[in-house]
Amino acid sequence: MASIASRTALAGPALPLKARITPLAFQLQARSRKSNGAKRTLASSAATPQDEAPPEHDSRPKKVLTKAQKQFLDSALRVNQAGELAATLIYTSQNPPIIKAHPHLRPLMKHMYDQEAGHFKTFNGLLAKHRIRPTAMYPVWYAASSLLGWSTGVMGREAAMACTEAVETEIGDHYNSQVRELLVWKKEAKDKGETLGPELEALLVDIRRIRDEELEHLDHAVEQDAKEANPYELLTGVIRAGCRGAIWVNTLWFLAAMHP
Amino acid sequence: MASPAVVRTILRTPAALRPLLLRAPRAAYHEQHHDQATPYGDAERTILSHALAYVPAHGFTQEAITFGAKDAGYLDVSRNLFPKGTFDLVMYHLVTQRQGLKDRIQFPDETMGVGKKVRSLVIERLRANADAGVVWRWQEALGVMSLAENIPASLRELGLLSDEMWFLAGDTSVDGSWYTKRASLSGIYAATEVFQTTDQSTEFKDTEQFLDRRLEELRVTGSAVGNTMQWMGFQGGALMNMLRSKGVRI
Repeated sequence: MASIASRTALAGPALPLKARITPLAFQLQARSRKSNGAKRTLASSAATPQDEAPPEHDSRPKKVLTKAQKQFLDSALRVNQAGELAATLIYTSQNPPIIKAHPHLRPLMKHMYDQEAGHFKTFNGLLAKHRIRPTAMYPVWYAASSLLGWSTGVMGREAAMACTEAVETEIGDHYNSQVRELLVWKKEAKDKGETLGPELEALLVDIRRIRDEELEHLDHAVEQDAKEANPYELLTGVIRAGCRGAIWVNTLWFLAAMHP
Repeated sequence: MASPAVVRTILRTPAALRPLLLRAPRAAYHEQHHDQATPYGDAERTILSHALAYVPAHGFTQEAITFGAKDAGYLDVSRNLFPKGTFDLVMYHLVTQRQGLKDRIQFPDETMGVGKKVRSLVIERLRANADAGVVWRWQEALGVMSLAENIPASLRELGLLSDEMWFLAGDTSVDGSWYTKRASLSGIYAATEVFQTTDQSTEFKDTEQFLDRRLEELRVTGSAVGNTMQWMGFQGGALMNMLRSKGVRI
């Protein structure tokens, strides 16, 4: 133990030496620490343990959303549904050429497709439950994402993975900004002595989970040599710009964000 | 109810600013009964609800509003609360009937199809017009709604009614058909309502048959379009698969 400590000390560690413990010792410490209710020290938009366990009986009043906040939620869920529609269609149309050339990718593609289909189902359910209008450009996104999936699939495995990488990067940023906004509301509510309410808390948990799964797809795509795609900069640049443009279009009041 | 302070406040505010006296509606996130907050304040609601009782006799006119205001204990001049005049009365009737639709009809039978439920909802809404006694004055209301400055609000209300009917019928589709369903039901409802204003049959039997014919047309057209699109999809897919089986890399 001491020799390891001295070796790492020469390398200039940022952590104090007593943090250099074996994995088992770390786990045991962490478990005993959890029962003391220790706080996380890193600030991140990942879920904290306090968030995951909803209070049994929260007697604080539920925050009443302003009109602007309701419109933000409407617009956000509408864009999310359009995005998941695009994702499912991209995977559906990428699949045949990719699987034909690389049969070993079948399980991976199926896994990613199943997760996207689950996300799509989640957002469909939310839109139907809260009577939110879906995007008016539904057929346009249907055609565009099918075309994108098919053309990158035909270009080859690397190009298809580069497309996935580009789309998932933009989607990750997009979901992150939504989580940030919801966390701002949560803080505002807490300052006033209110809670967000069970629905919004559930939405926050859902969007975090979906964002994590999208970033997992990003990692899979990079593992599958996304960076080896031949016109890599051009491909990812065009696709990322297209995604940002699509998200922007979906916020235009007269096309998709318009209140019915 | 008719406190002098309230009336003084109303009369002192310039006509254009009187809507600002209304309390802004607030609602928690997307409760199931959303949009229950009407844009009417207490005074407006009282006057208009009393005025509706005078519509069968006096039609959708300023007279009805004046009688309603007097009935509710307000001064005659309270009709200045309604800058759009008779259109406010028409809209009040439309909004209250739309929001009351879910209380008028429930569907305990789970096996009833969405189409049948939509038919029941349209008939119930038309019956509500009859129950309120406004059917024989409805042509006046349609005239008022078709004035240029009132058309956007009227169309919006028709769209909201169509959305409400599909929601109460249990439709949960959120793809492109969301728009086509609401647009077609708006058209059918508007046509049937106009037909009802000239229907003299007992219990509006002719109106129901008119509605049935329109719904049948919609069903036939919808399935024709759907089947054609499906056929085109199959042809396209078959062509792609055939080329792939020949070795073309697509």
